[in-house]
Amino acid sequence: MKVGSAFILDKARVGEFIESLGSEMQIVAPKRQFGGDVAFAAIKHPDEISWDYGNDIHPPKRFLLPHYEVLFRYKTNDSIQIEPVMEERPQAIVGIRSCDVTALRQQERFFCSQICDPHFESRSKNTVLFSLVCNQPREECFCICCDSGPYLFSGYDVQLTDLGDRFLYEVGSEKGAEVSAPREHLLANASEKDLKLRDSIWLNADAKFQTTSYLAKAILFISANEVPQSVWDQFGAECFRCGSCTNLCPVCSCFNVEDTKDGDGAFTRWRYWDSCQFAGFTREASGYNPRATFGSRVQRRFYHKASYQYITRDGRHGCVGCGRCVVGCMADLGVPSVVKRLRRAVSEQAKLEAPA
Amino acid sequence: MVLTAARPRRMWGVNDGAGSGLYIPKIAVVERIVDETPDTKTFRLRFEDEDFASSFSWEPGQFVEVTVFGVGEAPIGFASNPMEPCPFELTVVARGKVTRAMHALKVGDRVGIRGPLGNCWPLEQTKGMDLLIVSGGCGLAPLRPLIFHVLANRNDYGDIWLLYGARTPADRDYKQDLETWAARNDMYVLQSVDVPDGTWKQHVGVVGSLLPLVKLNPEETAAFVCGPPVMIKFVARDLLKMGFTEDRVITSLERHMKCGVGKCGHCCINHLYVCTDGPIFTYQQVRTLYEIDI
Repeated sequence: MKVGSAFILDKARVGEFIESLGSEMQIVAPKRQFGGDVAFAAIKHPDEISWDYGNDIHPPKRFLLPHYEVLFRYKTNDSIQIEPVMEERPQAIVGIRSCDVTALRQQERFFCSQICDPHFESRSKNTVLFSLVCNQPREECFCICCDSGPYLFSGYDVQLTDLGDRFLYEVGSEKGAEVSAPREHLLANASEKDLKLRDSIWLNADAKFQTTSYLAKAILFISANEVPQSVWDQFGAECFRCGSCTNLCPVCSCFNVEDTKDGDGAFTRWRYWDSCQFAGFTREASGYNPRATFGSRVQRRFYHKASYQYITRDGRHGCVGCGRCVVGCMADLGVPSVVKRLRRAVSEQAKLEAPA
Repeated sequence: MVLTAARPRRMWGVNDGAGSGLYIPKIAVVERIVDETPDTKTFRLRFEDEDFASSFSWEPGQFVEVTVFGVGEAPIGFASNPMEPCPFELTVVARGKVTRAMHALKVGDRVGIRGPLGNCWPLEQTKGMDLLIVSGGCGLAPLRPLIFHVLANRNDYGDIWLLYGARTPADRDYKQDLETWAARNDMYVLQSVDVPDGTWKQHVGVVGSLLPLVKLNPEETAAFVCGPPVMIKFVARDLLKMGFTEDRVITSLERHMKCGVGKCGHCCINHLYVCTDGPIFTYQQVRTLYEIDI
């Protein structure tokens, strides 16, 4: 099976396919929860998958970088005994959206570059991504402005496009080919007609976006530090400091590290998600906080997401246009509205400074 | 030649074989504890694993993450002679949860060490130059290995000036070393305190007020500066006024730090990670960054 080859997976055979895959690894897929929301969860039966869904408000990054992750356990009774902990269970994330695939690839580049994070690497090595093209972007989605959807040309292991009664099944990586090969008998070759239908569905999805974000302009302003401080301070005044933007962001990956006591002389060192929007994120033991104002923390978030300096470091800007910060923010500090206001503020500033 | 901070020969997680043990500390034993000031102690530590201890090395300016078992982890700079890499010394001010717990340690207790982390002072690039070392309070700690290095390779460098400021005479670290260095005839040592006691015969004032006493040609000098943020800021500005170029003012920066290996995101100043891109930066590297007041 070649990388780049395309197949047809008939919807009547999807159940069999998932069951077969599930015998080799844990399947994580969109599942309707008790309240009616769809969230990614480990599933036991293919019928649990909710194929018709927008996206999970919580990004699937938690399956590679869990909210809470044990780094190691140790005992201090007689001598110090350290017991390493490493998760190596294989898993497939089925139905992940293009934006989240792009985000996870960025996290992989970040965690597994020069100094390699062994915990993230172990999970990422054991994870295969079956992405599902969005035929109908949600109201808040703007991945089309961020080069991360609604369909992908690379990054996925397998990409599925819903063609109605069947999925187009595209193999995008060696890992994708490896997990597909044992189930090749469930796949049929895709015809030219199937590919044409895919293209028209993709173009149709492109036309359905309701939110846009001219990120390129914001990147220019932020990188050159041209945004007036008063604008950041205004954002800071509006921010509720809840941290939902960074927790819901599929690209954000900052964590805190803590030791907790399990019992007599037994401890666990673990890491958990942290947010640059919290005052304690940068507060030093002396009490000095280099990022003391609310505005400076909002500025921080956008500097990390949209500055050339970070694009050069990480190979990509830090927004995939999933729209979660738009939904999650109790103020209106999602990426598209902040970008819009930055552009307006800088152009007004320029008008003020221009000679009469 | 434009000066930059130097890449070290050895760095945890890059080329020391930490591998899957990136977050797992090596066990070290506290061999000796010296009281420097009322709130500062120097700990001498030796790795339990003898093979690891004998192959261990680090360079002036680098640091380690110290685990106090049952409490947590904190970054601390090497403070001893780099020619004797293990046992090594760490000078710790009791400030936060971990550093206070360190002060409760006794000789024979075990701690965890991950390191060496970070980059180092540019000691190769500055060969042949005069050195101006300016430090305040516990800022002398990361410069002490540098001083040991240049004194051991004295012929490689020109004049050496050490300026040290502290709140009171009792708040000075390494009082014995300061005496030894001051007695040498191949380096100048100037000290200053904010609040003198009855016996203090040297300068009174902030450390920057010692700068006019220094006789150096800024074009042939590298300045190493370490201390509290406000001290770094004002000393750097004074040095630029004296004619130092921005790359010749080299400093060691601090931020709240967790992982020490560029992953947790806490120690960023703009796009620079203090743990892996630093802690040593030239003024030129950081002056345009909006997240530092320098």
